[in-house]
Amino acid sequence: MTVMTQSTNTATANSGSGAGGGNLYDILELILDRGLVIDAFVRVSLVGIEILKIDVRVVVASVDTYLRFAEACNRLDLEAGRKAPTQLTEIVGDATESGAKGKSKGALTGAVEAFSESLQKGRDGEEEEREREPRKAASSSSGSRRTPRRKED
Amino acid sequence: MSTYIYAITAADHPRNLEGLKGVGDPAGELRTIATEKLSAVVSDAPEDLRAKRRDLAAHQAVLEALLADGATLPMRFGLVGPDDGSVESVLEENEGAYAERLSELDGCLEYNLKVSREEEDLLREIITDSEEISRLREVTQENPMAQEEKVRLGELVSQEVQARQEADGKALVAQLADVAQRQTVAEPTQTHFLNASFLVRRDEAAAFSQAVTEEAERRGDAYSLSLYGPLPPYSFV
Repeated sequence: MTVMTQSTNTATANSGSGAGGGNLYDILELILDRGLVIDAFVRVSLVGIEILKIDVRVVVASVDTYLRFAEACNRLDLEAGRKAPTQLTEIVGDATESGAKGKSKGALTGAVEAFSESLQKGRDGEEEEREREPRKAASSSSGSRRTPRRKED
Repeated sequence: MSTYIYAITAADHPRNLEGLKGVGDPAGELRTIATEKLSAVVSDAPEDLRAKRRDLAAHQAVLEALLADGATLPMRFGLVGPDDGSVESVLEENEGAYAERLSELDGCLEYNLKVSREEEDLLREIITDSEEISRLREVTQENPMAQEEKVRLGELVSQEVQARQEADGKALVAQLADVAQRQTVAEPTQTHFLNASFLVRRDEAAAFSQAVTEEAERRGDAYSLSLYGPLPPYSFV
């Protein structure tokens, strides 16, 4: 089991230290695609919006998809059964605002640091392309979503 | 100069934004446009606004700060009005509707939950449960050239994957709905079969988080649940 409770930590928001950054990628679709709009106003044309569409799962009923599933099933060792418990760090935090400052702080720090690093990279003119990388990383490994892939592309 | 809008709050919201800056480079100064009942937090809109990380973070930070002190209607990122006057007109025109929305959301927070399951674990369950799939698997394992059976196997498995993920997601949402006011389910992503947002009362946030943790424990190692929040109620405005 892995539970990751990441708080946006309003406390730091008030001190202006770029709060909420740690999970910015994971809530990107909320910031970009939800929220109130005013019909009469323009929404600035944002190239970055496209990243939303990329991550949405497209279920293709194709022979290729079927063959991939067939191969995966044939490779699977049923007898081996359950694999050993995952080594993932279990991060269970009390998601109330007070809890965010206490219990889950260790987890939060990691997330914020990882973000700050990519933020640094993003500062010198790198743009939307960068935004989608952690999502790719997240889909390639189940537990290390807080470790953005950086240089590969 | 056009006007970038972050959020709408009640006029009596404290709007403690000390130390925060707006979108743009250099970062815009935050200010307030007020009517009798409502306030909008705005800044000058940068001319070349795009979805840069810095700007997204600034937008989010302003909303979080506002949320900490009371009901906030979060605007979608990138919303720009022609000038301050037009923002004021919009506030006045929609005063009733916005005020009602604010009172509905008062004391509520959004939590976003993303859930994934290891594919092998799911496939193992499917093979074990279905005689036909199990049979086709043996046939194709013994005879790797049996292309037709392979396609049929994959097709059946793919249908099962989809059906089980959908059912699983629904069950999860139903389980958590008891401790939420409202919920909304978005399209699954490549990684997560469930991507859902819940509107949760502030005083029930701990109970909600506990429910998620219990659900995760019940489901075991193959599942990964990521809970994000408290967030401005993006999905419920």
